[in-house]
Amino acid sequence: MSLAEPAALPVATSAAPRLHVLKRFSNRFKASLPAYLLLLPSLVFLALFTYGAMGRVLVDALYQRATPKAPLRFVGLDNIASVLADPAFTGAVVNNLIYAVGTAVPSIALALLFALALARTHAVNSALRAALFLPVLIPMVAASALFLFIFLPNVGLLDYYIGRLLPVLPNWLGDPDIALYAIMIITIWKNAGYYMLFFLAGLQAVPEDVMEAAHLDGAGPYQRLRHIILPELKPTFLFVTVIAILNAVTQVDHVFVMTQGGPSNSTNLVLFYIYQQAVEHYDIGKASAATLLTLAALMGLTALSFRTMANREGGS
Amino acid sequence: MLFSRRLMLGLAMAGTLAGALAFPAMAEGPTEIDLFFPVPVDGKLARDMGTLIKEFNETHPGVKATAVYTGSYDDTLIKTRAAIKAGKPPAAVIMSANFLLDMQIENELTNLDSLIAADGTTKEKFLGQFFPALQGNAVINRSVYGVPFHNSTPLLYINADKAKEAGLDPNKPPQTWAELTDWAKKLTKREGDKVTQWGIAIPCAYDYCGWMMETLTMSNGGRYYNEEFGGEVYYDTPSMLGALTWWNDLVYKHKVHAPGATPGPAVSTSFISGNAAMMMLSTGSLTYVRDNAKFNYKVAFIPRNVRNAVPIGGASLIVPAGLEAEKQKAAWTLIKWMTSPEKSAWWSRATGYFAPNMAAYKTPDMVEFLNKNPDAKTAVEQLDVAKPWFATYKTVPVRKNLEDEVMLVLNGKKQPKEALAAAQKAADETLKPYNAETSLKLP
Repeated sequence: MSLAEPAALPVATSAAPRLHVLKRFSNRFKASLPAYLLLLPSLVFLALFTYGAMGRVLVDALYQRATPKAPLRFVGLDNIASVLADPAFTGAVVNNLIYAVGTAVPSIALALLFALALARTHAVNSALRAALFLPVLIPMVAASALFLFIFLPNVGLLDYYIGRLLPVLPNWLGDPDIALYAIMIITIWKNAGYYMLFFLAGLQAVPEDVMEAAHLDGAGPYQRLRHIILPELKPTFLFVTVIAILNAVTQVDHVFVMTQGGPSNSTNLVLFYIYQQAVEHYDIGKASAATLLTLAALMGLTALSFRTMANREGGS
Repeated sequence: MLFSRRLMLGLAMAGTLAGALAFPAMAEGPTEIDLFFPVPVDGKLARDMGTLIKEFNETHPGVKATAVYTGSYDDTLIKTRAAIKAGKPPAAVIMSANFLLDMQIENELTNLDSLIAADGTTKEKFLGQFFPALQGNAVINRSVYGVPFHNSTPLLYINADKAKEAGLDPNKPPQTWAELTDWAKKLTKREGDKVTQWGIAIPCAYDYCGWMMETLTMSNGGRYYNEEFGGEVYYDTPSMLGALTWWNDLVYKHKVHAPGATPGPAVSTSFISGNAAMMMLSTGSLTYVRDNAKFNYKVAFIPRNVRNAVPIGGASLIVPAGLEAEKQKAAWTLIKWMTSPEKSAWWSRATGYFAPNMAAYKTPDMVEFLNKNPDAKTAVEQLDVAKPWFATYKTVPVRKNLEDEVMLVLNGKKQPKEALAAAQKAADETLKPYNAETSLKLP
């Protein structure tokens, strides 16, 4: 029944009769048939909506037209080259790197802090956990629409309070120097509670007896954190970091709603750049090429993290 | 037992499938068509559209139209293009009026000339129903590609109470840039370094910013683009330089306009809350202001520096390319009905856009409405000086080439002159492939 079996089908090394091999193969196939049948529905949908689309992107990335009425022609890697040479794309990549680091680090730090503070389960902590988790439940689009008004210059909630302290109020979404950070604040606010859940789960796995032993040996809270809790949480850190980076690339709802990549491209992220190429420039070739580059980066990241995780599990 | 149940189920499914496949071929029923429509303003429009289409279906037994909500103007373009690519275009679409040229260049529109001729009328007669200002965005190379459906122009909104407070007469609104600058200075309130009330607010977010630049440039005697040919824009010109310099002066010299790029909703909220005493915004916001302002307000023409002139905005009905003749005809019936004087007037009152069909303003309901809401009249009167909305090859990227630079100016990061030179250079680059195929393709 194991799914790995057909893949590990041994090559007939001995000069066994052909019929025998065939029979063995058909027996094995029969045995794993129900598993394939169970997988079939999701395979069909994956093929239709994921692999099919990816294949199409791969093909589209190789074609381009020189002028609007000219027919599409094969251009090889030209689209990828023109994407890489586009300052708007490199700008979006730089923005995305700032955005990824600037959202992942603070939200993970906050999440860990929350989890450590709320690790013990009792009524007050449960209520606080729920409160911190609340932003996760609000859809990104709705949250962005709310923050659009919180960030309104002069009349928004934020300026209403900050206005009492500062003489000149920042135009949160209208100033190219600030807009990206305003967007990052929303992401941190929204994701910290989500990552907290993983750390809470991770903390459950810290062995009780080790903690007790440390306690008896007179280890203080900092020493316990530094030498027991943090090392035990390593897999959680790794997992949450991957999720946070994936989110930084794939969650751009607030860019759509709040800034459209502006002002002056200061909040343009890679996914939004792809949207712009496909929709505003109607340049499917360039959009597909940028998609391929992004997919390659994401897959590389995922593969790397899986390998690191596997190494850890194997080594420990 | 199990086997027979499966067999029966299979037979039943096969039967349904066969029936479904055979049905369209045998059907002699009404022609079924889809209408894609965006909701650029608020959710109520979707309900109004439902009412309109229901009435159409009740009065036209030969056609069964379905209204399909397709999001914003941009989303509607994406979905229409996707449907055309999939070989199943909708029969009619309410499309942002400045996307028509780009779609025509991409061969995505049906030329409506033959449908007009089939009705036994002429192009001139057909277009003659609509305000002349709207025809520019509907006609490409002397052929009709769109029918104006709902339209807007920019307006100057004034908080009349604050004007009176400052000793200004709201019944004599500013007519020139000089007067407007003077008003804005008098309407700006400061406490030390801090501004508690801005004299004027002008929106600048993608889409709105380009429209406002066209407005100011036109009022300064200029043009934004070549109305006859989609390969040219006039960013690096004295008229646009004057327009952007004045806007920049309002922010950094006179300090009567908040720095930075402010999106449309922020401008209207600022006006409604009394934080800005005047604003330039679309007529499409008139209903919102009327419903929400807790003070007396006035609307006026956009003031001029050289001449009174404004661009139009809004949407037209189009028929995508690649439809069967029968569906084309049904779509045409729907479009003519939707743009008739009565329906046009009804839609205008429901949404706040003005009605493109001139006869709409002669219907009794509309006359009564205008008497009750004289501010709606200002928008219509301004149409006399309105001109087409910019539309070029790749309209949106070309517009963004300008907007990104204007945003830098409003944030104090660039001077108008160098910003416009950079915008022109970027736009020329975007327009290059089209020019290579047209104006620069020489024998």
